[in-house]
Amino acid sequence: MGLGFMVGVLGVLFLFHAAYSTIQYRGLLKIMEEEFSGPPMNVVLELLLGFVFCISAALTVPGNFLSIHPDSEENRIVSLSANLDFMIFNHRAKALPSETDMKLKH
Amino acid sequence: MVSKTEETQLNRLENQVDNGGGGAWEYLCLVRKLKVRRSEKVLKYGLSILNDPKKRSALGPEEWTLYEQVAIAAMDCQCLNVAKDCIKALLKKFPESKRVGRLEGMLLEAKGLWAEAEKVYSSLLEDNPLDQVIHKRKVAMAKAQGNISGAIESLNKYLEIFMADHDAWRELAEIYVSLQMYKQATFCYEELILSQPTVPLYHLAYADVLYTLGGLENLQTSKKYYASTIDLTGGKNTRALLGVCLCTSAIGQVSKGRNKEDKESPELQSLAAKALEKEYRQKADDKLGLLTSALRSLKI
Repeated sequence: MGLGFMVGVLGVLFLFHAAYSTIQYRGLLKIMEEEFSGPPMNVVLELLLGFVFCISAALTVPGNFLSIHPDSEENRIVSLSANLDFMIFNHRAKALPSETDMKLKH
Repeated sequence: MVSKTEETQLNRLENQVDNGGGGAWEYLCLVRKLKVRRSEKVLKYGLSILNDPKKRSALGPEEWTLYEQVAIAAMDCQCLNVAKDCIKALLKKFPESKRVGRLEGMLLEAKGLWAEAEKVYSSLLEDNPLDQVIHKRKVAMAKAQGNISGAIESLNKYLEIFMADHDAWRELAEIYVSLQMYKQATFCYEELILSQPTVPLYHLAYADVLYTLGGLENLQTSKKYYASTIDLTGGKNTRALLGVCLCTSAIGQVSKGRNKEDKESPELQSLAAKALEKEYRQKADDKLGLLTSALRSLKI
C-alpha cells in the first residue's frame, strides 16, 4: 500500500508539473509570437512517466484482482448450502439424544 | 453456495476449533454465512461462548444473533431446554419481535406439537401475510408430518407469489425427485438454471434427472448438461465426467441399429475417460483398476 500510494502521488505531481510546464511554454511562445504546435519533448516524456506511475498505482493500491473464471478456486461452487429455511427436526437426533446435558447458564 | 476456498477455510477452522485452537466465533460466523448445517458443533461452541459472560459481552449486539443461531442448532439436536432458554433470553430483549415468534413456532415444531405451531404461524401471517420464512416453515411442517402432497401444493402456491426464490425451487425439485416425479423436477431445475446459470451443481442435478428419465432425446440433453458442468468446473467434478461416459454408452445402446448419422463430438467421452483416469491416478491409485474395468464395460 505505502509504496504504491507514493508512486501514485508522484505520478499526479508529475502530471501537474507537466501541465504547468506546458502553460509556461505557451506563454513563452506568445511573447516570441510563434505558433503552438505541441509541447516540448521533455514535457511529453514527463507526461508519459506520470501516466505510467498513475496507472500502476491505480492497479496496485485498491486491492488484488479477483478471478472471474468460473472454475477458479474462489468461484468454483463445490456444494450448495443446506436449505435451512426448510429444515425439519424429524431425524435421528430425536432417537439419539446427545448424552452431554448442556445448559444455558445465566 | 460454498466455493472451494470457502470449503477449505471452513474445514481448517473446524479442525482448529475441534482441537481447542480457538476461533470459535469466527467458525460460527462462517457457518452462518455459508448456511451449512453443523448443529452439534454450533450448539457446543456457541453455548460455551454464551456461558462465558466475558466472551458474550465482547460480542456486543452480535450476541443476539448467536442466541438465535444456538437456539436453532439446539432444536436440531433436540436439546429443547437449551433452545427454550435461548428463546426466553431473546424474548426478554425483543418482546414484540416476529423473528422470535418464529423461533417459538419452530420450538413447538421440534416438540412435535404441530397444531400449536400451526396456530403460531397463522397468527404471525395475519400480521404480515407476505412473510416468506413463515410460508416456508409451513411447507417444512407439512413435510415433517409426512404430508408430502400438501407440502408440494403449498410450495407451488408459494412459488406463484415468490417466483425468484431459488431455495424454494430447489426444495420443490428435491421433493419431486424423492417422489420420482422426474418430469416435474426437470421443470424446477430448468427454472434454477435460468435464474443462476453459473452454478454448476444445478446443471449437474438437471443432467442427472434427465439421465434418469431416459430416452434418446433426454440422454442427449443430459450429456450436454454434463458437458456444461465440466465446462463450469474446469473438469474438477468427477460426477460430471462419469455422467458423460454413462450418457455416451446409453446413447449408443438406445440408437443401436437405428444408424444415427450424427455422431456428435466423438472425442468427448474419450477425453472424459482420460481425465477420470488421471484424477484416479492422482487421488486413489488403488481404485484405478475398478475405474478402467467399469469404463471398459461401458464400451467406450
